[in-house]
Amino acid sequence: MAGNFWQSSHYQQWVLDKQDLVRERQYDLGILSDEEYQKIFIFFSNLIQTLGEQLKLRQQVIATATVYFKRFYARNSLKCIDPLLLAPTCVFLASKVEEFGVISNSRLISICQTVVKNKFSYAYSQEFPYRSTHILECEFYLLENLDCCLIVYQPYRPLLQLLADIGHEDQLLALAWRVVNDSLRTDVCLLYPPYQIAIGCLQIACVVLQKDLKAWFAELNVDIEKIQEIVRYVCSLFELWKTYDEKKDIQALLNKMPKPKTQPSR
Amino acid sequence: MQKYEKLEKIGEGTYGTVFKAKNRETLEIVALKRVRLDDDDEGVPSSALREICLLKELKHKNIVRLYDVLHSDKKLTLVFEHCDQDLKKYFDSLNGEIDMDVVKSFMYQLLRGLAFCHSHNVLHRDLKPQNLLINKNGELKLADFGLARAFGIPVKCYSAEVVTLWYRPPDVLFGAKLYTTSIDMWSAGCIFAEMANAGRPLFPGSDVEDQLKRIFKLLGTPTEETWPKFTHLPDYKPFPIYHPSMSFAQVVPKLNSKGRDLLQRLLVCNPAQRLEAEDAMAHSYFSDLNLKPQQ
Repeated sequence: MAGNFWQSSHYQQWVLDKQDLVRERQYDLGILSDEEYQKIFIFFSNLIQTLGEQLKLRQQVIATATVYFKRFYARNSLKCIDPLLLAPTCVFLASKVEEFGVISNSRLISICQTVVKNKFSYAYSQEFPYRSTHILECEFYLLENLDCCLIVYQPYRPLLQLLADIGHEDQLLALAWRVVNDSLRTDVCLLYPPYQIAIGCLQIACVVLQKDLKAWFAELNVDIEKIQEIVRYVCSLFELWKTYDEKKDIQALLNKMPKPKTQPSR
Repeated sequence: MQKYEKLEKIGEGTYGTVFKAKNRETLEIVALKRVRLDDDDEGVPSSALREICLLKELKHKNIVRLYDVLHSDKKLTLVFEHCDQDLKKYFDSLNGEIDMDVVKSFMYQLLRGLAFCHSHNVLHRDLKPQNLLINKNGELKLADFGLARAFGIPVKCYSAEVVTLWYRPPDVLFGAKLYTTSIDMWSAGCIFAEMANAGRPLFPGSDVEDQLKRIFKLLGTPTEETWPKFTHLPDYKPFPIYHPSMSFAQVVPKLNSKGRDLLQRLLVCNPAQRLEAEDAMAHSYFSDLNLKPQQ
């Protein structure tokens, strides 16, 4: 579906307004601070990333799963569905949509169990509590809340086009690509079109590598204001990371997080 | 689900039963496609997901509209715009006679729908008369995108065996793994000939070999000159050298010479030389086309 972003459901329904986002999160932000809320989402982005890597998914699929996850909670409180259930469900749905090939549900569950036990034991002392039936039920709920808008545009393709225009800069591409991955831990994928995110991330990479492409950026016909906003979002993530120790803090945050009334029996 | 009153079963789609139904509030007639969820491991079938996500992005008068997706007690129902019949049923009602202006109008609309899909980087991959819906106003709409896919993101290879044999191009029959828009253009050509003959299929092959034999008997067996490297295709098998024994005037006797020219530009064995949908729409066959306003 490349090349038609302006007619896409992504552009028409899912480039959200900052004010809307604040309003939708009102309930959760009554319990958690902005920063705590963001830390929880960073944690689950990491979980999705790890699940995806264990399943050997392409980064595009992982990014789509992360965007589904963020879109769901942009319209719902964390207490609607346990994010520990929604995260693998997003991976499951994204892998089908991106035609990675279907992951068998039983394999997904067993990977969840292993990952939670081996890589996220600092967050969860108990084993992964969900079964296939939970994922399948959750998939419906997710589909409905996404309003069936499943095709997500990512900044990776526009980034490659920008780099092709600049010329071969492998180091720059590699860094900008990583910054795009990092940007999934912020709200930019909910607020800005992917080509703007690509430009913002590229700009950050240029600053880090001390590459002066000011003249090249000036030639781009983009809303500089928006690009600066994106840069600020990503830079504040980097600031947060400097002092934040997820291993130490996450368990308390997960305890504080609003939860669904019924939990599956463990 | 209370919103709709089921009227009758229309048919079986790629992944479930299709019903005609009435919206109780608006009295609008719709088609309900119930998605079977028999494989517990897969959840919502990927073919249904593909159809949902593509139709969510493709809105065009020659593509069937997806109005809504309903979830109720572990079932998924897709609500589509209802069309009175499909092209196959239309053929059955003809008794061997078809108005050549209708053929032209249908063919143009088929190409327009395809051009739109292709411009959005979507291949249909399963075009056949059963998948072309027709309503009372003579509008034609592409349906059943269960096998369709966006080809924007390069994947290693697309799955083989996607087109019903009769409408499958020779490159796919020889096991070509990289499909392009040309796959749909071949199918469009076959359907064009079938329409011009009031519903007699052009290449009703019984298996892959018979299918290729029928194609080569009409068009001549390809050679290294007409189709470079075709012998390198994964499932290539040598065929006798057939020379076209029948002219297109005999194959589609009712079709005028411009129409025959268009048909011959679509039915080209070498996929690289098959006409694209946009170019086919600009063909002189359509220069005297009269579409009703709603078409």
